[in-house]
Amino acid sequence: MTSLPFAHALASRQDLPIPAWLFAWAASIVLIASFFALSAAWRKPQFEDEHRRSLGERLSAVLLSLPTQALCGALGVFLLGVAIYSGLRGTEAPDRNFALTFLFVTCWLGFPFFSAVLGDVFRPFNPWRAVGRVAGGGFRAIAGQRAAHLDYPEWLGRWPAAIGLLAFVWIEVVYGRTSIVSVDIDPHAVAIAALVYSAYTLAMMIVFGVEEWCEKGETFSVYFGMFGRLGIFGERDGRLYRRRPFSAATKWATVPGSAAVVIASIAATSFDGAQDGAFKAGIEDVFEWLSERGISLLEALRLTDTIFMLLTFAGVALVFLLGVRGMRTVPGAPSFKKLRRGFSHTLIPIALAYLVAHYFSFFVFQEQAQFTYLLSDPLGTAHTNLFGTVNYTVDYRVLSANTIWYVQVAALVIGHVIGLMLAHDRALVYWPDYKKATASQYWMLAVMVAFTCFGLYLLSVANG
Amino acid sequence: MLPVAHVGHYLWALYLLPVAIVVAGIVKSARAQHREGEED
Repeated sequence: MTSLPFAHALASRQDLPIPAWLFAWAASIVLIASFFALSAAWRKPQFEDEHRRSLGERLSAVLLSLPTQALCGALGVFLLGVAIYSGLRGTEAPDRNFALTFLFVTCWLGFPFFSAVLGDVFRPFNPWRAVGRVAGGGFRAIAGQRAAHLDYPEWLGRWPAAIGLLAFVWIEVVYGRTSIVSVDIDPHAVAIAALVYSAYTLAMMIVFGVEEWCEKGETFSVYFGMFGRLGIFGERDGRLYRRRPFSAATKWATVPGSAAVVIASIAATSFDGAQDGAFKAGIEDVFEWLSERGISLLEALRLTDTIFMLLTFAGVALVFLLGVRGMRTVPGAPSFKKLRRGFSHTLIPIALAYLVAHYFSFFVFQEQAQFTYLLSDPLGTAHTNLFGTVNYTVDYRVLSANTIWYVQVAALVIGHVIGLMLAHDRALVYWPDYKKATASQYWMLAVMVAFTCFGLYLLSVANG
Repeated sequence: MLPVAHVGHYLWALYLLPVAIVVAGIVKSARAQHREGEED
């Protein structure tokens, strides 16, 4: 993430042909033009059916076979173990310890990027699911019956995952911040957090069952699986299939708390981008106000950041809910609750666009470290050189500042156009009269333009 | 001298303008439709 102190410092200055704010105007015009194109040419829902096509039977059988699943699960458990061991026994320098880059960059950013294209790629590598399944199999073999589980409360839905998502980001960008100007997250603390989360997850799997908890409560399964709904491959009844891109997203937000997960994702990325940019002055003011009232500096800083993080969540939620409220004014609209749930999935491409826009360059830079010196010397103690790559360095010239900016703008525009497309498609389900469907989507257009301009503003301040 | 030293602090307004234009357009269109509905 941007606040880890290892990649962004070396970014060069941009040399853009027009002011950054004009890109926001241009992006808004693209969205408005897309909106009218959708209204004119898209009059029947296209994404409600996934249009599944089976992959080859042999390929499906091999990829879903027990040995393949065991291998992927074992790899997941092994890598989590390496990350925890590196955090506990390795160097305290965040840029030299395998744990931080592996957890906060390779997994946290890599799985969403690949899942959005291919489908849910985290599921086979999920270390907790692998352990849970082995333990469940062991119990069956010994007891001769399946383990009994409690029924998962319907009202709880995906709320544990949403809270877990905010907590994960909080550890990195709030708890890890040790002063108003520096971030110095401790690999040891991250390793302890990973152990605590592992114990909590396994306990929840015992209580509610492995698959039930992964589907609704386990933060990383829900978060990465959400992006996987945009991808083109899925699995059903023991067979792999290909589907229309984005179509699986339409059935994602069927349980309570789903909107909170995707809003938390957008808010977490926004806060991380704004912490040292757009929100900096506000954070400093509140921090000073709190510290003048006798709160210790570190506590005041963490409290201030927590307040701003929650305010960001509330702000993102408010924009979305205002859009939903606007749709309610169109004759024939379903209930507010149904609209809120029915349009939550339209924010998934936006969450992805925010991730790409904010972290794409960071990912490219930091993965060079991951696959060279961090792999050869996971502990960062200079005692090992497993693959002979310990002396490699990160080449920051692979991306220019202008390239990064154009990728950021493109990601935001494409993500929001896809969001508009999904929203228009869902509106045609709720309002079969396409004129009413179009009228309802004026409000989602405002939401999309707002998120696009907000995203570009955060980036322009952070880059400036 | 023009008082432009702190103009950078208000750049956010340029990012807000497209949103304001779209929202104003929606409100105007909704009110026009509402009036048409009342006249019918």
